[in-house]
Amino acid sequence: MPEIDWNRKILLVDINSYFATLLQQENPHLRGKPIGIVKDVGRTCIIAASKEAKQLGIATGSNAHQGKLKAPNLILLPAQFDRYLDATKRLKKVFSQISPKTYIYSLDEAFIDVTDCQKYLYHNIEELALTIQNSIKKELGEWVTCNIGIGPNYLTAKLASNIAPKGNSLTITPDNLDGILAEAPFSEVCGVGMRLESKLKRLGITNPYQIRFYSGSELENYFGPFWSKELLKIAYGEETHHFDLLEIPHIQMKSVGRSITGYHLYDDEREIKAIIYNLISEVIHKVRKMGLAGRQVSIFLNGQDQFWSNHTTIKHLINHEQEMFEMIYHQLYRKWHRSFKIIKFAVRLSLLEKIGQNSLLLDWQKQEKVHQALDKVNDKYGLFTLRTGALLNQPIIRPEVTGFLGDRLYQLSNNT
Amino acid sequence: MYQKIGETIKVAGVYKNHTFHPFKFLWHDRSLKIDQITLISDVKDGTVKKRFYSVIVGQEVYRLLFNRETESWLLDELWVD
Repeated sequence: MPEIDWNRKILLVDINSYFATLLQQENPHLRGKPIGIVKDVGRTCIIAASKEAKQLGIATGSNAHQGKLKAPNLILLPAQFDRYLDATKRLKKVFSQISPKTYIYSLDEAFIDVTDCQKYLYHNIEELALTIQNSIKKELGEWVTCNIGIGPNYLTAKLASNIAPKGNSLTITPDNLDGILAEAPFSEVCGVGMRLESKLKRLGITNPYQIRFYSGSELENYFGPFWSKELLKIAYGEETHHFDLLEIPHIQMKSVGRSITGYHLYDDEREIKAIIYNLISEVIHKVRKMGLAGRQVSIFLNGQDQFWSNHTTIKHLINHEQEMFEMIYHQLYRKWHRSFKIIKFAVRLSLLEKIGQNSLLLDWQKQEKVHQALDKVNDKYGLFTLRTGALLNQPIIRPEVTGFLGDRLYQLSNNT
Repeated sequence: MYQKIGETIKVAGVYKNHTFHPFKFLWHDRSLKIDQITLISDVKDGTVKKRFYSVIVGQEVYRLLFNRETESWLLDELWVD
């Protein structure tokens, strides 16, 4: 029988409609109004919506035009990623005062493990949840509310936070676990994507509890060896593999990537080249700042309902933008006969390692000297202050943080 | 929308709990008393540390920017309905 350690106490704090809430906190004129956050002025994809906009059916990922049709008074505002990241750093400090076991899960979510300190410090976990909510208000402002899910593991804490009424907390106990699992839709279960959800639906399974009526071998036939085990864990509210990984300390990032969706379809080779170089510059800047270098480069391009991707792995480590550009642009991209206009660009440097001994090749050393000078100037005055000629007279794509904070090790480190 | 201003201002304030709290600023010879600070954010421009103060003066919302290296103040943006 599956077992849950009910002595464990994990809290998941989820700030409600984070980006929009911070804007409303900042500006009382925006409070109570439907707001859509776009990446920049002129962009049309709503990357975050206020709770008022969500109530009108404007979800994250909506098109601004469709949003305006649903809510003519919808206010569109550009994101301020650096201010959101700062708010997350402030929250991290608040959470670290509660327990040393804190994990920033995304820009607006954090797990706090109070298992070891609850006995001495927090006898009443619901009271602690209230204290956290008040501390957040004190740190960021009165308008900022959050959901807090409390459970015996990460999976159930996240589930509780997802289904709790906005601005409230919910505790999962041995008494209510089965009831919650029988009522929660899969969209609220972390780790179950849309494809898996529809596959489950085809079997008539619409909530986690119903999985219990299938045997391990039946599930394996439908979902394969990995997901059959994972689904059984979800059925009983046990920790899944995804959350087990959070317990493993990550010393360094394994890969660094950067993607951008353009304003229009790109067909001009000069523009395409500049965008690829721009993205590579940011990747290399991050990688060098962490003292890393990688052995695998990848490119992914998308447009007109088509995509193309390629990658190559080499023996030596790369941490120079010219070399990464040479591999991605000349050795991968230029050998492909482009068959569509491009809207989305992505590049990645993977198989990252700490730099050991530097290359003895003179060309490499020359490049390294150039890079060291480049790093020095850009570290002091900001990325792209000093840049390659390929980026002259081109709009610069600047670094930004993503909501899921895939580069948390970089963004939350002390040297960034 | 926020209207970009980008003009230098003079600011008066107090230090409270190791943090500077502006209470009024001088812009175009007008002294504007800050009723409330609604949000403070620390950002970096290269290694230059900057601090945003979002403040309310009457019905107006202003974004003030303090450059911590040059110790200079800027009225960065103003909210206009």
